[in-house]
Amino acid sequence: MKKFVIAVAASAISIGSAYAASVKNNDTNAQTLVVTEGSTKTQLQVGAGETVEFCSGGCFVTFPNGDREALTGGETVEMTGGKISIK
Amino acid sequence: MIFRMIRQFVSMIVAVMLLAAVVPYASAQQAPDAVPDVESAVVAEQRPAIDAVKKQISNYDQQKLKADTDATLADLRLNLEGTSKKLLDIGVSFRPRITEINARLDQLGPPPPQGQPPEAQIVTDERIRLTTEKAEINAVLGETEDLLIQVNRMIDAIGEARRELFTNTLSQRVDINYSLGSEIVTAYGQELQTMNRLVSSWWRFVVTFKWQSMLAATFFAGIAALVLLIGGRRTIGHLYFRDPGIEAPSYLSRLAVAFWSTLMRSLTVIVFLATTYLFLGYFNVMRPDIASLIYMLFCVIGIVFFVHALAQAVICPGAPNWRLVRVAPRPGRILMVLITATATITGLDYIADTINQIAASALSLTVAKSLFATVLVGLLIIAMAFLKPLEDAESGATKPWPRAMRIFLFTIGLVPIIAAFFGYIGLARFVSQQIIINGAVLVTMYLGFLTARAVSDENALAGTKLGQAIQKRFGLDETTMDQLGLVASIVINVFVVILGIPVILLLWGFQWSEMSAWFLTIATGFQIGSFNISLIAIATGVLLFALFYFFTRWFQGWLDTRVMARGKLDSGVRNSIRTAVGYLGLGVAAVIGVSAAGINLSSLALVAGGLSLGIGFGMQAIVSNFVSGLILLAERPFKVGDWIETGGVGGIVKKISVRATEVETFQRQSLIIPNSSFINGSVGNWTHRNKLGRVDIAIGVSHKVDPRRVHDLLMEIARSHPLVLKNPEPFVAFSAILDSTMQFEVRVHLADLSNSGSVQNDVRFAIIDRFSEEGIEIPYPQRDVNLHLEDADSIVELLTKRVRDELAADGKKFKQ
Repeated sequence: MKKFVIAVAASAISIGSAYAASVKNNDTNAQTLVVTEGSTKTQLQVGAGETVEFCSGGCFVTFPNGDREALTGGETVEMTGGKISIK
Repeated sequence: MIFRMIRQFVSMIVAVMLLAAVVPYASAQQAPDAVPDVESAVVAEQRPAIDAVKKQISNYDQQKLKADTDATLADLRLNLEGTSKKLLDIGVSFRPRITEINARLDQLGPPPPQGQPPEAQIVTDERIRLTTEKAEINAVLGETEDLLIQVNRMIDAIGEARRELFTNTLSQRVDINYSLGSEIVTAYGQELQTMNRLVSSWWRFVVTFKWQSMLAATFFAGIAALVLLIGGRRTIGHLYFRDPGIEAPSYLSRLAVAFWSTLMRSLTVIVFLATTYLFLGYFNVMRPDIASLIYMLFCVIGIVFFVHALAQAVICPGAPNWRLVRVAPRPGRILMVLITATATITGLDYIADTINQIAASALSLTVAKSLFATVLVGLLIIAMAFLKPLEDAESGATKPWPRAMRIFLFTIGLVPIIAAFFGYIGLARFVSQQIIINGAVLVTMYLGFLTARAVSDENALAGTKLGQAIQKRFGLDETTMDQLGLVASIVINVFVVILGIPVILLLWGFQWSEMSAWFLTIATGFQIGSFNISLIAIATGVLLFALFYFFTRWFQGWLDTRVMARGKLDSGVRNSIRTAVGYLGLGVAAVIGVSAAGINLSSLALVAGGLSLGIGFGMQAIVSNFVSGLILLAERPFKVGDWIETGGVGGIVKKISVRATEVETFQRQSLIIPNSSFINGSVGNWTHRNKLGRVDIAIGVSHKVDPRRVHDLLMEIARSHPLVLKNPEPFVAFSAILDSTMQFEVRVHLADLSNSGSVQNDVRFAIIDRFSEEGIEIPYPQRDVNLHLEDADSIVELLTKRVRDELAADGKKFKQ
């Protein structure tokens, strides 16, 4: 019984993984991203110190410093001092 | 004065601002002179892919304009979704280079401000080159982004177009009248002619040039099917043989037989058709129009055969004890025919569609064919509704469908017929197709639920071969197998729902993307009030809790058996540490689980703070026991296995928990004693530090014996017993001189007090044996009685007289 439960647990863990991308603003002022998801461009406000989930099925993002990036969903973006790091 | 100062200040700020604006401008001005026009390697690499996608998009755009059926639009949508994914991939492929450039730019630092010493030219050059490349990549990314928007707009437009097409199809009305009839007759004649011409010209071609290939194709296909049929029967035939000798086969074995028989029978036919088709294609026997006709024909034959095989396996009119649903044999046979007929008619409808396409027939013919097919399907369903297929479990009599089911069947049978006669052929066809396909899915789901129920039955799993294999492999017992069966049944239920509902939604025209989005929302979190519920988080929490709990258990066992046992730790300490680790692990697992489930612990703390007063009063006893339990674990006044006495009861400690301690009396009664009573009251522990203890055996002897001799004898007996300790040495106490006895007490020390019973027995037996050998008496209580009489002489006289009389009487008797 124990072995069975462990097997089920292990397989369930392998299924569950992150889907949406998230962006964290480490700066003291709010930042605005332009997110192109589906057929629309939207502006995404990220307040100081906030973490926002977005882009569940892949998107293009334009960051406040003018950099553009394509995300497939599942990435973690951090904005620190106007610099972008994607993991 | 103040104004002047302000003016100076403002002019200063303006100057600084101007300077700041000019500096980047100046460096930007420098750029074109200094840097050669390099194209980024990544851009050059991705350029062809982007151009290809661009071309593809314009291609799709034209296809979209031409597309007129739902299937083409759906295909196009799929293609476009693929393209959008490709565009994202292209976008992502720039990321490593951008990261590289950013990192390098960071290393180079910003250009030195005005007034500072200038940096080396090579640094300036590199910075400018990197910035240019980045700008270039950004531009290309922008282009890709625009393309993605375009593609996604097209996807939206296709969705719109499909909806419109669907509404048009459903709302279109055809006037059914006399002129339509004559039109149909003409069109039918024409179509017959066209098809005749097409088929006969193809057939002439085959007979003249390709007859060998045709024969070979059929031959090979036949052989393949035969191999499968005979080989299948030889190898796994026992799996789907319905043994008439078995009175009541279990549901699972019935299900297995149904599954294998359906699979093998339909696989044979499908293999035959598929190989025939492949070989015909391989030998170039078919023309495109004939190929599509044959393809459709084969598909329909395959599906109809499958439906027939499935219906037969489920209803099983030939062998009623092997059926999966309680349908009586005779109506079952009719039901099977009706189901197969429904599938056949729907299939023929599809074939007719293909023929109409090939022969480019008039619309009226399509209308007539759809009318015919839908009305027939409707009539067949109504016929099914009239059947009395169900069998009563006790009497075996047949009875009709349940009322709700009958009404439902009538309704769905009548809807396409009525719609068709009012001229809404599109609607009628849609409804009848939906009924058949959804019906098939629902019946399959129902079988799945039945399976789940069968698996959860007692000993159902253990009875199957798979269950027996599992049982043997993992060495499980009956109860575990039963629980496993329950788990399997839940898993099957969930599986059926998870598979079945999306299939039905897909058939109703929902898109995968929509469904996956819903699923994601449900799984990753939705808000109720201010509370965020996320199934994934909850599942993760439960899983983490379970994992950590099992880990704790494992760690506990490892610590106990591997570390502490080898460290020769006292069993009491071991037990305390074991218990403490267990509770600690449980607590940590609970906290981890709760926080992983996304429940904010601080909000719980708020509630706990509010309730703590009430809970404190309400759970006073429990808390006191709990704390006492902790003290017991730390202080260890007794351990598991100790012989304790408290509150008038004694026994062996079996388990120390945090709230209560389990003590087993010598009559094997389990006492659950709250821990606080150990802390508040006194506890006697016979085996606290060691198991050493004294046993007293009392014995009384007669006054006639020499007490010293008795003392020596008793000492000898006590010393001679092997379990009696030599040190402290046994002691015989001459404890009392009573009326009838001299009281002795043999006091012996034992190393293990648990032997006291047997030692006492042995010593007492030895005493009795020895005393009887030595003639020492163990007296009854003795009394000396003194009589004080007033007139003793008269009593003596009376007695003498009476004796004399009696003697005289005896003498008389004797003489006689």
